[in-house]
Amino acid sequence: MTELGLRLAVSFVQILAEMSIVMFTVAVMTLAERKVLGWMQDRMGPMEVGPYGILQPLADGVKLFFKEDIVPAGANKAMFALAPMLTMVVSMIGFAVIPFGPDMTLDIGGLTIKPFVVADINIGILYILAIASIGAYGIILGGWSSNSKYSLLGGLRSAAQVISYELNVGLAIVGVLLLSGSLSLVEITEAQAGGFWHWFVWGARPDGFFPIHTQVFAFVVFVIAGVAETNRIPFDLPEAESELVAGFFTEYSGMKFAFFVSAEYASMVLVSCVAAALFLGGWNAPYPGTIFEYIGFQQLAWIEHIVWFAAKVYFFLFMFIWLRATLPRLRYDQLMRFGWKVLLPIALANIIITALTVYFFPRG
Amino acid sequence: MTFKAWIRTITFYELVVGMKATMSHLLHYKPITMQYPHEKRALPDNYRGMLSLLRYDDGTEKCVGCDLCEAACPSRVIRVVSAEVPGEPTKRYSKEYYMDMTRCLFCGLCVDACPVDALGMTREYEWSVYDKRQLHLNKEQLLAIGDRSFPVREKQLELQHPNVAFFNVAFKHLPQKPD
Repeated sequence: MTELGLRLAVSFVQILAEMSIVMFTVAVMTLAERKVLGWMQDRMGPMEVGPYGILQPLADGVKLFFKEDIVPAGANKAMFALAPMLTMVVSMIGFAVIPFGPDMTLDIGGLTIKPFVVADINIGILYILAIASIGAYGIILGGWSSNSKYSLLGGLRSAAQVISYELNVGLAIVGVLLLSGSLSLVEITEAQAGGFWHWFVWGARPDGFFPIHTQVFAFVVFVIAGVAETNRIPFDLPEAESELVAGFFTEYSGMKFAFFVSAEYASMVLVSCVAAALFLGGWNAPYPGTIFEYIGFQQLAWIEHIVWFAAKVYFFLFMFIWLRATLPRLRYDQLMRFGWKVLLPIALANIIITALTVYFFPRG
Repeated sequence: MTFKAWIRTITFYELVVGMKATMSHLLHYKPITMQYPHEKRALPDNYRGMLSLLRYDDGTEKCVGCDLCEAACPSRVIRVVSAEVPGEPTKRYSKEYYMDMTRCLFCGLCVDACPVDALGMTREYEWSVYDKRQLHLNKEQLLAIGDRSFPVREKQLELQHPNVAFFNVAFKHLPQKPD
């Protein structure tokens, strides 16, 4: 086997594993959202398929797979088919740079691979920002090619919303970049090792405890803008049921609809992963080192790291559901005003303050 | 904006209160919904369900074909065709009795109107059908509903007519009407 072939095979296996983890999380989320939402509203959620309805995602998948695929009259067929694929692909490839576990290396047949990150590129954050912006194209294309006024309005709303909030996401990240001095998610996460006071949301210097470099404002801005960017309640203007039927995917059915929905959930998972990696220390435990290390199982420490990463991601995912159960939808002018007149100044001020503190109190 | 209101705004106080409310519902999870086909709620005592025709304990129909139910019905559900009992010119019965249950609003006025308590409201409510002609019930079907819902039947008391008792031409086996 040539080296190229081996490299391709390893990458393929990694991508396959990552894809299946993400799709499993999406399936869990579709169920968890309905169950948790039901519990918060004194309902039971799905109860029929399997014990306590745990096989509901499977049943949904089978149903959507066998549904009739309707293309509305006057729709641009090529674009209509392209839009869900674009949204789905874009929300899946963002995971390539997410470090799920510690930065360790494996030797397979002379190749050095990193098992927990598919592509450790040195501009990981920029890559994610770029990919997330392309996701808006899928929504706009889907809205425009459906030949329906509701879809078009939903798509345009989504465009305006993503532009407004993408900016806040980008500016909120800058503080983290100033602290870590790197754009690679692996290096950003490694800079937060050694206890929760080194996470950027707390922001102590590497040798101290006092939160002099705290990024908590950037964290709040990032989470709010992340909710807005994934078109989730309370910022789900593009798919506002009471005004726009279903927004940009009004005319979609069957597998294309499933693509849009799972892309939405996948981008939720992506935003949660990025937030966990940037602000909550990624795979690092909230105490220095790992328990496995202390009791002498050095080679099993990666399990604990992955568990911590998953715990942080699922905390964010739960928060998405919790917000949905609590908050009503914003009006459109409120959404825009909040993005431009509240979040943007906070993010800008955070950059200036972080730059000053880093200049006067350098990180070692 | 007062200082207190400003603090509340920047700390998302209102938002936190709302999140606390939903979280308390999650922690004290007590669903008010029911898994309907598997568990059914207890019906109230005066529940007005499917209508039915009743019989006496000897199996004869109670209905005397007086048409009062038809007159009382506000949505014209009931249609009665009354006839004499063959051989007994003083007695009548309903030769045909139809109920169009697609129109019934379960007000119970027909049950109130019936002078011989020949109508009863059962506690059945699962009457969904695919063909609504199946809800156009005839006398046999209504009697069958009554038979399965009211196993305890009223005893038939046939009384001496006061006029014939006065003229002393009464049937000896019939009891006097109590005062």
